[in-house]
Amino acid sequence: MGQSQIPDKGKILAAFPLRQALPPEISGWKTGREDQVFTRDNIFDYMNGGGEIYLAYDFQFVFVREYVRDDAPSIVAEIYQMSSSKDAFGVFNHDTDGDEVELGQGAIYAAGLLRLWKDKIFVRIMADRETPEAKAVIMQLGTTIVRAISQDGEKPNLLRALPSEGLRPKSLRYFHTLISLNAHYYLANVNILNLSPETQVAMARYEKEGSEARLLLVEYPTVERAVDAHGRFVEMFLLERFEADRKVPPKKLENGKFAGVVRGGKYLIIVIEADKKSILDWITKTTSQNLEE
Amino acid sequence: MKKRRAGRAFTRRDFIKGAAMGTLGMALYGKGKPVFAGAKADAVPFTAENPESVVVLIRNERAIGAADKVDAAVVQEMIDTAVKQFSGEADAAKAWAKYVRADDTVGVKFTRCDYMRVHTDQAVIDAVVKRVGEAGVGQDRIYAQDGGLPFAKCTALINVPSVKVHTLTGIAVSMKNYINFSPAPSKYHAPSTNLGEIFLMPDVKGKTRLIVVDILRPYFGPGPQINPLHRWNYHGIMVSNDPVAVESVCLNICQAKRNLFKGEAWPITPPPDFIAAADKTYKLGTSDPAKIKLIKLGWDKDILI
Repeated sequence: MGQSQIPDKGKILAAFPLRQALPPEISGWKTGREDQVFTRDNIFDYMNGGGEIYLAYDFQFVFVREYVRDDAPSIVAEIYQMSSSKDAFGVFNHDTDGDEVELGQGAIYAAGLLRLWKDKIFVRIMADRETPEAKAVIMQLGTTIVRAISQDGEKPNLLRALPSEGLRPKSLRYFHTLISLNAHYYLANVNILNLSPETQVAMARYEKEGSEARLLLVEYPTVERAVDAHGRFVEMFLLERFEADRKVPPKKLENGKFAGVVRGGKYLIIVIEADKKSILDWITKTTSQNLEE
Repeated sequence: MKKRRAGRAFTRRDFIKGAAMGTLGMALYGKGKPVFAGAKADAVPFTAENPESVVVLIRNERAIGAADKVDAAVVQEMIDTAVKQFSGEADAAKAWAKYVRADDTVGVKFTRCDYMRVHTDQAVIDAVVKRVGEAGVGQDRIYAQDGGLPFAKCTALINVPSVKVHTLTGIAVSMKNYINFSPAPSKYHAPSTNLGEIFLMPDVKGKTRLIVVDILRPYFGPGPQINPLHRWNYHGIMVSNDPVAVESVCLNICQAKRNLFKGEAWPITPPPDFIAAADKTYKLGTSDPAKIKLIKLGWDKDILI
């Protein structure tokens, strides 16, 4: 997850093409306070207590424009420039509650909030309060931004290894570090899996033949780091003795659910919260096969 | 082969087993609901020597109207009723006189979170400031602020937070509301275990006379920014002087709402371990439902606790 050099704020405002694409006025809404931009250096000036989630991805900067109109809710458009399309996808999938909309490479609308991603851009457009007019403006702004982004970006390669059958689409998450894992699913108060900006994690829930389970697929930069994380998970979560060449069978936990881990090269396939051992085995086997292809 | 030591690691399994965070762990991962009102009927507000706490929760259907507009008059009435109940006084002025004196310099510490927008409602702030003023405190000695509140010169603090599930601390109510009293607030994010130590800073310790929680429109989503689907009109005000008990009650309400929204367990994550630490390590109050007398007043539809 490399971060390329971040240009200064004045240059961003002057040159950011999506700023030029936004209209100064739309359906009576006019630009309010001056356009703002926040980089990795000062994201906390914009969202103190929340910037960490963006810094956990290859976030470069966020451009913020406010639209105001008398007797109408104000609308704020935030355009996040990421270094990669895979991390734009990851940030977009941080919260998937809402109704899917055909826009960009993925969009969700929820009660006055539009979230979308395309290429290396993630967008949030939100009204103080939802009204039919505000919703129409939000959708117009979203469409304008999407049209101004010339190309699509690739999703993370890691997702190709996920079994497609039984995957609950809204449960899919992609991230790198512990702070993101903890925001979605609490495994432990310490970094059992040795997650870092260099790791990639795809997490999803599955439902198959009446059974449910959760898959965490982790790609490490080296085999050695995968082996170390494998050992930590076996010893600290499964509470079994770890030997690198010995398979540890899935284990039934205190809540009656099954958990298991398998390593293949620099990948860890972790299945947890499995109602039955059969769904755990199926997810593990299918993911392993996908990784070999 | 070197055996890895878990040390102070708490895993999800510890919560499932009930071995982490006690009753709070049960609130997040347990199947049963905690039973509040466990304290004696005549329980008095929390002191370290008498670890029982009173939390007054009042709700009014009329507190929020069309377009989520908060009715300031109804809110004032709710706060007055709750403070009277909490103090044991029949008159609002006498009730407030128990917590502020005319010669106090009072900080009314509210929550203003521009990007997340789950602020303490202005009606709640105004109602508290009004009663503090009527207790004889001059307007020049009332500091109603979030950032920059001069807490060192205050002799009394009224903690007036909003309620939100938080992506880094688990939940943010009265304890996280003091985070910007610290010169290094980010050190209390992920992990937030030591959040309670802020209450023991020399310029903060012992000054909190009352906690008035705006739980009119709390937030239960993952954050960090708001998704309007995850905000709901709860129509509540909560009054106590125990930040740990307040946090515990709010945690249970938000957890219940999350489960209801998803139709399945949706545990608040990360688990707000600062609540258990505030109880056991910093001894700021109690998180044990058996020691919290929860007094519920008013509208009880969808109360969730």
